[in-house]
Amino acid sequence: MIANQTVSAIAGALMLAATASAQEVQQSPTSRTAKPSVTPSNVTQEMLDRAASDRNNFLHTNGDYTQKRFSPNTQITPANVGKLRVAWIFQTDVRESMETSPIIVNGVMYVTTSFSHVYALNAQTGEELWHYKHSLGPITTYCCGPNNRGVAVYEDKVYLATLDAKLVALDAKTGNKVWQSDVGDPELGYSETMAPTAVKGKILIGTNGGEYGIRGFVKAYDAKDGKLLWTFYTIPENSVGVWATKDATGRDMHRNIQAEKDQLAKTGDPYKTLGGGVWQNPAVDLATNRIYFVVGNPSPDLDGSLRPGDNLYTNSLVSLDLDSGKYVCHLQYIAHDVWDLDAVSPPILVDVRDKSGKVIPGVIHGGKTGHVYVHDRKDCSLIRFSDAMVPQENMWVLPTAEGARMLPGANGGVEWSPMTVNPQLGLTYAINLHQPMTYQVQSSPYPGGKLWLGGAFKAIPGEEQWGNITAVDYNTGKIKWQVKTPQPMIGGILATASGLVFTGEGNGRFRAYDAKDGKVLWTFNAGAGVNAPPSSYMVGGKQYIVVGAGGNVQIDFKRGNSIIAFTTD
Amino acid sequence: MLHACIRPAAWLTALLALLAATPAPAEGVDEKAQACAGCHGENGVPQQKTMPVIWGQQQGYLYLQLRDFKSGTRKNDIMGPIAQTLERDDMMALAQYFSQKPWPNLQQPRAPAGVAAHALQAMNAVVCSSCHQSQYQGDGTQPRLAGQGKDYLQQSMIDFRNRSRANNPGMSDLMLSISEDDIAACAAYLAGL
Repeated sequence: MIANQTVSAIAGALMLAATASAQEVQQSPTSRTAKPSVTPSNVTQEMLDRAASDRNNFLHTNGDYTQKRFSPNTQITPANVGKLRVAWIFQTDVRESMETSPIIVNGVMYVTTSFSHVYALNAQTGEELWHYKHSLGPITTYCCGPNNRGVAVYEDKVYLATLDAKLVALDAKTGNKVWQSDVGDPELGYSETMAPTAVKGKILIGTNGGEYGIRGFVKAYDAKDGKLLWTFYTIPENSVGVWATKDATGRDMHRNIQAEKDQLAKTGDPYKTLGGGVWQNPAVDLATNRIYFVVGNPSPDLDGSLRPGDNLYTNSLVSLDLDSGKYVCHLQYIAHDVWDLDAVSPPILVDVRDKSGKVIPGVIHGGKTGHVYVHDRKDCSLIRFSDAMVPQENMWVLPTAEGARMLPGANGGVEWSPMTVNPQLGLTYAINLHQPMTYQVQSSPYPGGKLWLGGAFKAIPGEEQWGNITAVDYNTGKIKWQVKTPQPMIGGILATASGLVFTGEGNGRFRAYDAKDGKVLWTFNAGAGVNAPPSSYMVGGKQYIVVGAGGNVQIDFKRGNSIIAFTTD
Repeated sequence: MLHACIRPAAWLTALLALLAATPAPAEGVDEKAQACAGCHGENGVPQQKTMPVIWGQQQGYLYLQLRDFKSGTRKNDIMGPIAQTLERDDMMALAQYFSQKPWPNLQQPRAPAGVAAHALQAMNAVVCSSCHQSQYQGDGTQPRLAGQGKDYLQQSMIDFRNRSRANNPGMSDLMLSISEDDIAACAAYLAGL
């Protein structure tokens, strides 16, 4: 009897699953009756390797494996960008925070929305080819919005990571699900908003959850079948470190090392609930077969009393061997962080001058602290850090029960927003926030997958907030130019080989700047916050710039649902 | 059923007997849910202002609350014993059942402009919409706040603030960073959405 019940339950479940799966993909109205105007094509590893010079496509979340977001396209120039006009607008079904990086493969564009939807579009016309709506499970636990930052493409599949902590492979031609793997348990605070990275048959993915007491990781899955290949925990079993008293810039962090040592003796290493999310894509060094990514804050964010030690590898740049997932090197920016001024913006591989002036392979990262950090790629060591791009005040005052004022506020500096690099000019471009905040500490034990901040960061009512776009010479650390914006900046930025920089604002403005001096060359108002990274591509011999305008949860910018492509006549 | 909530002890005994007698989750969810109507309302409108709306509430949130009532991390003299009778599947089935019901209109007035401005300043400072979404509709394990009962909202925020509601320390931290006046304004604003 029990067996029979089980069989019918399984059969019922299978029927339900089949129904749910069938409903997940919606073919566009036109594709039901007519042949699609363009057919999605395969992406080879060779295409992914040479993406930096591929004028037609935008194949990686951040342009290419180095993550420079530097388009080789030169058709749209400082001279003609003033004539940039809307080519098409596609409206998604989801009017909510939009952080997607459009991916373009031979005339087909893949974009994502909040709540883990994927659309395939004709990149020339905006026509919808298919729409995948992920059936989210009942348990989703996430901080800072139901965002999704895009897909990865590899061979005949499109890869999506979802709010309910799944990794999903879709058939690029149809949007049908091919396989799905669990990445983490959402009931314990794991969720996904980042785009996966596809490389050499692997799909790499990190995790959110630093606000919920997770144990962070980067995982590699087999692109063919979703089998887990390796896991690197961003929190090692010995997370104590060297009891660093100064941050990477040499400033005293006012740690009470003896109190921490006493706590360690009492409660042991806190590694199991220490956080360390990875919010953004790793850069891949194809020459050395290494990846470089940054690790987010420790849990709980503001209360260090429960987590003695440096809390390795939170707030760090980390490098791994791609094949094995084994540790190679790291550099921790802030040990034992109690301000959530963590490392989120994706690192960029670029040749840099070392302290002696010699050009070496480097890696740079824009921090919430407001500094651009420049590292030696060989051993992760810090070569220099830039001038502060935003006001810093009272660093590093410890959070108090009443709330201590310190700048930058907890969103940065540079938030998750990717930077871009123009290697011809030796400049990196970052978008920054200025939000005066107080840091308040309250202690409470691990709550089992619930929000665990250990206090609160609170924007100070009445104090002006603003943002800026900053060009930094990574060979000197000096600021080359800076343009102030009326709102804090969050989203992303793109540079082109023709000497342009594109980025959007929370007030709906999408602008082109002269890469040399920051002069505003073109403005468009999208009607909703442009808080997503732009992409560039070519179809039919014409260059396009595309960006999402959906606003932002974290700063509460006006929501929208548009993907807007621009071109010149 | 109004008196049931006024005299919880007697009512609770009968309710627990009913829950214990109901069959396995998949078959018994309707009956189990019926037992909830005594306080949460036959039509989704709670019998008392301090009781929450659960019709149309987010499934993940409802499940976590039942789970927490059972484990004791959220304490309530009525819900604690009820949750003790439920297994995970029961909780998930009940959460799904109520999440699929329409959200009731409690006919609460919109907050006056000054109260709304006060609330928005406080809510922007700690970015409530970061979890509860832009229209305060909630999602997943984050509850809908828009249109929830004003008194329940205010009491919940106060309970978080004084940590008598201890099943979300992050919420306690955030409520401690704003004042009780802020909380009163937030409750009025959210109830009227």
